[in-house]
Amino acid sequence: MKKFIIISLLTVVSLPLLACAGIGTFNYYLFNLYDNDEFAYRMERITSNNWKVYMGLNEDDWFWFSEEKVTEAAKQKNDALMQSYVHQLARYLKICDDVQGDQWEYPTKEELAKRRTTLEAIRAYANTKLRTRLRSQHGLLYMRANMLLGNHADNVKFWEETASQYINSVYKDMMYNIYAGALYKTGRTDEGVDIFVEQGDYRSLMTIYYKRRSYAAINDVYNANPKARVLPFLLQDFVNNAQEADDAVKYESFGGKLFIRDITKDEAKQMIALCKRAVSEQKTDAPAMWQTAQAWLEYMFADKKQALSDIQKAVTMEGSERMQDCARVIRLYIEASMRKQDTDFDNWAGAEMQWLYNKGNRANPKPNTSYFERSSYYDNAFERIVQQVMADKYQTTRPEVTVALYKVQGFYGCQEYLDTTTIANVQQYEAYLTGAAKTEMDRFLKNAIRQQPQQDEADADNEYNDLIGTKYLRLCQWDKAIEWLSKVPIAFYQNRGYALYAALRRTSVEPWIERQFLRDAEYYSEGARRLYESPKLVFAKQMQQMEYGMNMLQGKSRYQRCYDLAVRYAQVNFSGDCWFIMRDAKSPGWDEVRPNEVDLAARALDYLREAAQTTDPQLKERALFALSYGELQPKGLWASLEWNSEKADYDRIPQRNSSQWKAFASLIDFERQNPAGIARYVSRCDEYDTFLKAYRK
Amino acid sequence: MIRRKVCYALLLVMFFTACNQQPDMNTEPGNSVYYWRTDLRLDSTERAFLHLYNINKVYCRYFDVVQNDTVAGPIPNATLTFNDTIPEGIEVIPTVYITEDCMHRWHRGLAEKLVRRIRQMNETNDIPNIREIQIDCDYTAKSRRTYYEFLDSVRSAWGGRVSTTIRLHQLSMPAPTVDYGVLMIYNTGNPNKFDERNPILDMRDVKPYLRYLSDYPLPLAAAYPVFSWLRTIHAVNVLHTVEADEILRVKHAVEQERPSLSAAIITYHLDKENINRYNPETYEEIYHH
Repeated sequence: MKKFIIISLLTVVSLPLLACAGIGTFNYYLFNLYDNDEFAYRMERITSNNWKVYMGLNEDDWFWFSEEKVTEAAKQKNDALMQSYVHQLARYLKICDDVQGDQWEYPTKEELAKRRTTLEAIRAYANTKLRTRLRSQHGLLYMRANMLLGNHADNVKFWEETASQYINSVYKDMMYNIYAGALYKTGRTDEGVDIFVEQGDYRSLMTIYYKRRSYAAINDVYNANPKARVLPFLLQDFVNNAQEADDAVKYESFGGKLFIRDITKDEAKQMIALCKRAVSEQKTDAPAMWQTAQAWLEYMFADKKQALSDIQKAVTMEGSERMQDCARVIRLYIEASMRKQDTDFDNWAGAEMQWLYNKGNRANPKPNTSYFERSSYYDNAFERIVQQVMADKYQTTRPEVTVALYKVQGFYGCQEYLDTTTIANVQQYEAYLTGAAKTEMDRFLKNAIRQQPQQDEADADNEYNDLIGTKYLRLCQWDKAIEWLSKVPIAFYQNRGYALYAALRRTSVEPWIERQFLRDAEYYSEGARRLYESPKLVFAKQMQQMEYGMNMLQGKSRYQRCYDLAVRYAQVNFSGDCWFIMRDAKSPGWDEVRPNEVDLAARALDYLREAAQTTDPQLKERALFALSYGELQPKGLWASLEWNSEKADYDRIPQRNSSQWKAFASLIDFERQNPAGIARYVSRCDEYDTFLKAYRK
Repeated sequence: MIRRKVCYALLLVMFFTACNQQPDMNTEPGNSVYYWRTDLRLDSTERAFLHLYNINKVYCRYFDVVQNDTVAGPIPNATLTFNDTIPEGIEVIPTVYITEDCMHRWHRGLAEKLVRRIRQMNETNDIPNIREIQIDCDYTAKSRRTYYEFLDSVRSAWGGRVSTTIRLHQLSMPAPTVDYGVLMIYNTGNPNKFDERNPILDMRDVKPYLRYLSDYPLPLAAAYPVFSWLRTIHAVNVLHTVEADEILRVKHAVEQERPSLSAAIITYHLDKENINRYNPETYEEIYHH
């Protein structure tokens, strides 16, 4: 009944590889007052669906406007009006492409004049079709042509006198949007902006306000009209930019997001004062928005205690439902950050997390949706609160809660934690999930995990036994490892991503002399990956037998055993060819000794040092050669690399105190007196050769 | 005899004068600015600036050239829209920024296409008497050869003066064969590195390159930054603008190494906000010859 480790094979195999992708800081914006369903995308989606319906395509079919294809569909329907509309629309779209200016052929004066003539012809054509059944489409075409011709006043007039009377449709929405732009172009900025806000056209708003996003500019907007509809957009932009600046300090993020601007501490304080004024003047109908902005800025820049007091007031204030939700989310973040973890906290935070979880898509996942489509404001806020507040809060006091939070969030760190934590912690987590809930937090987490897709019971048991067994392997506790790994069938390993490596590689091969690269043919051969025994169990038994008999050995046979053990430790180290004994995946350049595992390379070096005491020249030469193997001492290499821009190549800078330098030097001393001469594997080693040249300088 | 000696002496003086001739005399002395927006439209402050500081050239970005994955070869991007004109009497130098990856391999006909486009932009927008064009590219050891060959093709297609930008790190490479270079004395730091240095300009980042200046074989004009770096986030209280003192400190240092760099001076770039950022004395110092 070890169902809790719901780790899919693919997830496990890809786990350590995620390190290459970097870990995000989860700094989703918490101050978020509206859903960002950008107008342009929304329009494109709807018009595209309209075309699909017209052409008899399915909703899931791919569609890209093609004059030819739409005309063909129109012909089949004997729809002459649509044919002429599509033709004119295509002419208009061609001009739009030309205006983009990304072609090598820059237009001549004549071409520009021709472009204008074409636009005037389109406009005139559309004007004659305003009483047809496609009046909305033609009205839109008329306004589009006007827009490119710069006839903004005409567009204002057309909308106010004609198009505003049309029935509601996506075309009317687009005309309304062009009307807003025309208002802006003709100096009626505030009216235009209100429409952009109403339509969620944030691109246009950003174009208009790009250079007016400072405290001073927002103060001006507020003073002119405390209920200006653009204020939520401007305030959200300011507060989130402030967060970026704050995050940059905390997390050293770089690059930033589009439209970012630095907010200084002084400017943030000025904005806090404006927020206070807006609430106290009572001229706004959304005090919750101002109070929340104030609290969040205070939390980031000024006074956390004051922030807590202010956010607690914000949740009781008036505002849209989203503004009130936003206040509640930020209260959860601030209050949870500042309160001590105890039973009271668990009950309060558990209920709040349950609320936030239910608001997001995680609780009600929609099928066939991408990660981004699933991620609403509430999902992102949940993720941020787990990552930046809750996980740390429980890490030391109740680590099993942290793991459960990661699990509910869907964070891969949950698997990573289970993979690297102590055996006791894994068992504690199991007990937590199967035991009775004591607080609201427990109840929330258990219910949420229970609602997640469950794994087959036998698979879950195998994964659990393999996990515990592997943890004992990493601690070199062979008896315990054998006890757990004996319960895992070979078929389990046959299905692991590393089965091919396990089938073809041997832990007895000296890695400093022979690398076990796989041949191309083996990659594609089903037969090659067949396992006949459990690789981990076999290894554990072999090591148990070899190490437990050590005390009985003396002299040459003991030195030989030391060497043989060193070979095996080096092979199952993360840099060895048999890494799969200890880990599920390999990430070159990122792997290192993790918590709760023995440093296998260090143990290999210890054994090699003992083996090098032998008087047998052949074994001594092998041991000394092995001691200079770089993979066992990545931090003690004999030379460091420094980029030489003049040579456009790396220079090797000798590190004479490094462990590898000393090992190579010992090998050279030995070879000078080696009666049998230098072994072929030494003389053919390019690294040895390079070292010799540096050593003799 | 005395007359002969005087003649020799005169010749000798002329000889040494020629030897000591400033290497940057091929650049035309004067004050210039870069115009680096996508919309040519000057407001009254910008027009006043051009007049006040005797600006005689505007290096005007016409378009960028970028690699495009979906089209064969590089394409123009962010073409300038002409909604205004540069005041009469000021020379316009069409400038094209080409991304370094475009120079990772040779693109047949690229130089000709670029020159043809500049000519057509001039013609369509009534920009007369263009003598010179400038190409801007952050070329590296990997792209240098291709870029220099590309410049040769541009010169041959254009037929008139061609200049190029030279970044500090490019001073250690052989010089391109153009009429002159504009030494970009900005963007000296690594914006992704988080230390206390200003990525736009920091004397400590300039210093290692000073030794290349005196012997760099190409005539040079000098370009100094007056812009702010809007997108880069460092820390809350750090604004990415360069202190006037730092610009002047660097200017003095580079002119000490190569005095003729004071002949032709450019600021990057013309913008009302940049003009208001520094007081008139700073601009006078920057443009001091």
